[in-house]
Amino acid sequence: MEFARTGARPPRGRAVPAALALGAVLFAAGCVPGTDGSGAAGARTGVATAVPDPATAGKVTLTVWDQEIRGGTNGEIQQLNREFEKKYPNVRIKRVARSFTDLKTTLKLAVSGNNPPDVIQANQGYPDMVAFVRAGLLTPLDDYAGIYDWNTRYPATLLGLNRVSADGRDFGRGRLYGISQTGEYIGLYYNKDVLRKAGLKPPRTWGEFTDGLARLKDRGELPIQFGNLDKYPAIHTFGVLQDQLGAAGARDTVLGRGDGFDNAATKNAAATLADWAKRGYLPGGANGLGYDDAAKQFASGDGAYLLTGTWQLTDLKKPMGDKLGIMPPPPAKAGAAPVTTGGQGLAWSITSRSRHPEVAAAYLDFLTDAHAADVMTRHGVLPAVPARAADRVSPDTADGQMVAGWKRLSAADGLVPYLDYSTPSFYDTLSAALQGVISGKTSPDAFAATLQKDYGAFMKKRREQHTSAGTE
Amino acid sequence: MKITALTRAYRRRAPGEPRAIGYLYIAPALAVYAVFLLYPFGQSVWLSFVHWDGLSVATPAGLDNYRALFADPALRAPFRHALLLLVFYSALPVAIGLLLAAVMSRVRVRGMTFFRTVLFLPQVLALIVVGVAWRSILAPDGLLNDALRAVGLGGLARPWLGDYTWALPAVGVVGTWVGTGLCMVLFLAGAQRIPRELYEAARMDGAGPLREFLAVTLPGLRPQIAVALTLTIVAGLRNFDLIYITTSGGPGNATSVPAYEVYHRAFETNQVGSAAAVGVALTALIFVLTVTVSRLVEGRRA
Amino acid sequence: MTTRLERNVTYGILAVFTVIALTPVIGVLSTAFGSQSSLDTGFSLPSGGLHWNNFTDAWSRGHFGTYLGNSVLVTAVVVAATTVLAVLAAYAFGVMRFPGSTVLFYLFVIGLTLPQEALVVPLYFDLRHAELTDTSWALILPQTAQSLAFGVFWMRTYFRGSARAVIEAARLDGANTWTTLWRVLVPMGRPAISTMVVITFMWTWNEFLMALVMVSDEAHRTVPLGLAFFQGQHSSDAVLLAAASVLIALPVVVVYVALQRRFIEGMLGGAVKE
Repeated sequence: MEFARTGARPPRGRAVPAALALGAVLFAAGCVPGTDGSGAAGARTGVATAVPDPATAGKVTLTVWDQEIRGGTNGEIQQLNREFEKKYPNVRIKRVARSFTDLKTTLKLAVSGNNPPDVIQANQGYPDMVAFVRAGLLTPLDDYAGIYDWNTRYPATLLGLNRVSADGRDFGRGRLYGISQTGEYIGLYYNKDVLRKAGLKPPRTWGEFTDGLARLKDRGELPIQFGNLDKYPAIHTFGVLQDQLGAAGARDTVLGRGDGFDNAATKNAAATLADWAKRGYLPGGANGLGYDDAAKQFASGDGAYLLTGTWQLTDLKKPMGDKLGIMPPPPAKAGAAPVTTGGQGLAWSITSRSRHPEVAAAYLDFLTDAHAADVMTRHGVLPAVPARAADRVSPDTADGQMVAGWKRLSAADGLVPYLDYSTPSFYDTLSAALQGVISGKTSPDAFAATLQKDYGAFMKKRREQHTSAGTE
Repeated sequence: MKITALTRAYRRRAPGEPRAIGYLYIAPALAVYAVFLLYPFGQSVWLSFVHWDGLSVATPAGLDNYRALFADPALRAPFRHALLLLVFYSALPVAIGLLLAAVMSRVRVRGMTFFRTVLFLPQVLALIVVGVAWRSILAPDGLLNDALRAVGLGGLARPWLGDYTWALPAVGVVGTWVGTGLCMVLFLAGAQRIPRELYEAARMDGAGPLREFLAVTLPGLRPQIAVALTLTIVAGLRNFDLIYITTSGGPGNATSVPAYEVYHRAFETNQVGSAAAVGVALTALIFVLTVTVSRLVEGRRA
Repeated sequence: MTTRLERNVTYGILAVFTVIALTPVIGVLSTAFGSQSSLDTGFSLPSGGLHWNNFTDAWSRGHFGTYLGNSVLVTAVVVAATTVLAVLAAYAFGVMRFPGSTVLFYLFVIGLTLPQEALVVPLYFDLRHAELTDTSWALILPQTAQSLAFGVFWMRTYFRGSARAVIEAARLDGANTWTTLWRVLVPMGRPAISTMVVITFMWTWNEFLMALVMVSDEAHRTVPLGLAFFQGQHSSDAVLLAAASVLIALPVVVVYVALQRRFIEGMLGGAVKE
């Protein structure tokens, strides 16, 4: 509320002729560049046939936008960037790192500008990646995927999440538009000290976990640390709850072939979340607590559990040391296959107007190959495809637990994609509705109806597009 | 005949002045102003009548974008919030400022420069800095909650920015903080200029403090009140930075405001036409409110 | 005439509001000198001495060197351009009479109430089309236009108030309009001009929305944006964040404290004079 450029009130009187003159200007203004559709770049196809050699590309500055700002991933990216520059002295990497939410708010402006970054980290799903593809802003990577053997490096399910159909309409199939570096899943972090003091052991079943919450609360401990001021963290918490009640259905829904959100799993998961908030299993001010602040408080001993992504491991481990443990959310029956929300980190994509797509592709390969995986492991980051270094991590450390959990989840196909991929507006819809559920303002039924309204409308539109495309 | 009268009028005011040269002096400023302010505003108006996703061909929308402002709850809410925020951004600072000016108008304050400098300080800080500071104060374990707990009112402590009921007032209080100093400085300066004799006359008539305020101070401050209202209303309605940095419109959409909606729609969700309509409607709202203020408060006809 | 009670009440109230106005400012200042290892997420008091290194840390981690450079460049050009253009136009509006002058003047005045939100969308597409986004021009040109609304309005008030006799005398000495302006009126109008300069400086320095939309390139970013993204990255690092805030607010606050009369006069838009 700065009194910017309003240094004085408008003098009255004689405003009419001025308004008329203004009207004339308005009349004269008849168009805005781009409204004729010239802004839409045609989708390009990659034409690479051989392994590109960045060393021959001359002096190149590669601008990279990423959101790897946390201790582990930040360190790992910095190291890999340095190594890449050392390997190819003619290439300079200009890195722009910012938080996930800031990246999300500014990325569209950046990639549609005149000097887009060469490499960006795009969130998968309809809100970001599909929208960019549709606008012709990303380069398809299928050729590079063949050249660099990405197709065999990654499981098909992970690659699928980085695919968009050629017409830019469907998520999860079609061309490859990005490649992820890290694996990630929403895990259950626990503070061993707090659990021990409450006479609890790390839970083996979901029932043990939820029973323990009441006990922790009775002892005056905060059962689950949680901060949702940034809006997105609740997507992860809710995802875990929903997966417990119906992982297969949730996955089908995200991929556009499920029954949507008007179902018992959605409502019951929302009811559980609301119940946790009401019983004080979550901090009273969850909606007003920053995500990183919550993690900081968990690290300082406030809270027995923290349900969040593996990306937090390094930052938590530093202050907590051996007190920290992590596991996939426990399954319903001891020893059964776990399920959780997750998959892979944001995709690394090449923008269609990058002047050095081949160097960018080489960079992407460098960030994701076996050597990179080992660098990630050393930094406490979970690689999407763990390499040798991961085998040497002691299984008793938090790092070891994280890798073991990833292997179990991958083997059991227990990863459900993030729900915000579902429709172009789903990130906004879901995150806003979840804040309502946590505050007790939105009932589970109303919550499910809100999601279904968004989802149903989008599915209907897609069906219509497909029908009309079929008849053309 | 009319023309000669006009010429004579000019001649009388600036005898012998080469008049056409005036256009030359104005031309550079007008060019920049027209190209980068008036023309884009015209384009905004034009954009508000089309559907455009920022990429493909724009299609005529007629009044759709404006109709949506009334029909779509997601667009109605930001305007409702903006009007509610005006209570905090405009009404409260003016009321507080007036009250204080009334109490203080009878004393010649020493060290006025110091007080004025400090009270006005919130005005010159970048709103981003203000937002960062207040985010810290309003955090669950921030200064405000700590203070409440310290005086035994821990029950009132809450996550101010994350509470559906309280987030909007919390953001509003930040605006009150920014605006009150401005109003105080304005009214104090005005009050010191009201002739002492008026007060003395009022007192001779046996007027109490309230009557004195209503009969002397309030009318004496009319122009300042109009300025204060106008400045705070315009600033309150264009409130983007503060929302961006403190709540991003949350929780849910409890603090979304038109200014934020313009950015969100135009540059995040590909609804450029709708964004332009929100911007134009915001302009209209500012215009209507400022004109109303000057008519009501100053009681003069435009 | 005033009683001791009235006097005490007055100073009491002023003191209370001074405290309220200063609390957030002092909170940020004291946090900025705190220890980075503290787990506090709110304001804190410095412990174990003043940690000046917070500022150097924030400076280097937040790339504030580049941002400050850009802010200085943009601000300097906007202030200079606004001053010259506004003085020229306001001179004509203030002392010359020509057909259409009133309408043209009110056209400028309308700009005082036009919110940026109603301009920024088409401006972005225009400037992108002209390949000016991600350059300093994308900030300089629109901000100059917006500052002109105030500048022309403000300076016209000065020129109108300047003594007609002075202008007449200058003309009798053989000065033309140009030399009258620069040799006589501008030197005399230094207070009015410096008010316009500091106000334009502050607005441009603090500008956020334009900077957010027009510049995606790190190399052309200005400080308010730098702080916003810094806060995204270090949201739980209260100390670094506070140090960065201090760095950004400092230039304006220093100028403000030195020239507070000019600031207040300008922001209240001559209303007090009426």
